[in-house]
Amino acid sequence: MGLIRLIVLGFIGLSVIYFAISIFSRSIRRERLEKEWDANPPEGGDLLARDTYIEDGMAEYEGGFRKKLIVLVYIVPPLFVVAILYLTNSQ
Amino acid sequence: MRKVKLILKVLPLLFVFGLLHYVLPQHDIAKITSTTEIEQNLSWVNRVFYAQADSGNVASDKRYIRSINTERRKTYLFGFYPRDAYGVMVYRNEDTGWIWPPYFKFDTSDLHAEADAASSLTGREQWVVITHYGWRNKFVSIYPNAVGIREISGPDVRIIPWFNLFFFAFLIVAYFFLRAMWRQFKERSVDPLLQDAGEVWNKVDGHTDVATAKARGVFGRFKVWLATWRKK
Repeated sequence: MGLIRLIVLGFIGLSVIYFAISIFSRSIRRERLEKEWDANPPEGGDLLARDTYIEDGMAEYEGGFRKKLIVLVYIVPPLFVVAILYLTNSQ
Repeated sequence: MRKVKLILKVLPLLFVFGLLHYVLPQHDIAKITSTTEIEQNLSWVNRVFYAQADSGNVASDKRYIRSINTERRKTYLFGFYPRDAYGVMVYRNEDTGWIWPPYFKFDTSDLHAEADAASSLTGREQWVVITHYGWRNKFVSIYPNAVGIREISGPDVRIIPWFNLFFFAFLIVAYFFLRAMWRQFKERSVDPLLQDAGEVWNKVDGHTDVATAKARGVFGRFKVWLATWRKK
């Protein structure tokens, strides 16, 4: 029963971390895109063009590899559990 | 008020320190003198310091605890500075199971056998490093829980607490990461809202409380909020 509790509680906890990091990462990405545009706006670039630039950048991020790296949140802690389990119980 | 604030700051820190000191692994250099089994009748005072019932069992207040009796080297500074003094120490030997503390220890019986095998009872002198967590307290009858025994050649070994080093490094990284997350959230989501609210507020009756409260920090803001309940 302890194992089931660990899996359920662990999954909930890791999901909270996963979503927090996802939102954070997205926010960082958007801010960087905004700053990139503002620092060096192209000739004749209006607000609409700025929006398009940012949304394109965000779309690229959503399909990119960096976003997939956040899945490690679900992979690394269980590996630690297995490692500790082994180290504690082996002689 | 200042004293209250100080206490409110120090208490959580003390609690966290105590928790970490209880849960993190420590290493003792010791000589096992015997292993025994003692009957414990747990009460609400010390039950929290013992393992939960084995899976599938009902939690009973009466249980047999395996213990490892040792003579160990005393230390200063949480084990960093070994002394040339020795004293007795009793460890309990219990499964932690799956949840807390997360040692995932299931090999109590094997550890018991290991302790017997490394015992100095037979007359030969065998030094061991006992990895454990927890506290010994005689007044509430609690014992640190041994999680590992490693044989060494003599009492003069240098122990490097690798796990704790990595743990604190991780803690520091996690702290800065959380701080960065909070700042990002505040900058992008909270501040624009506050700014809007503040502008409206100032427009309505030239109120400057928000601005001054901001300068005073969290506690100042809380006081200003309290003041809004008072009759004008």
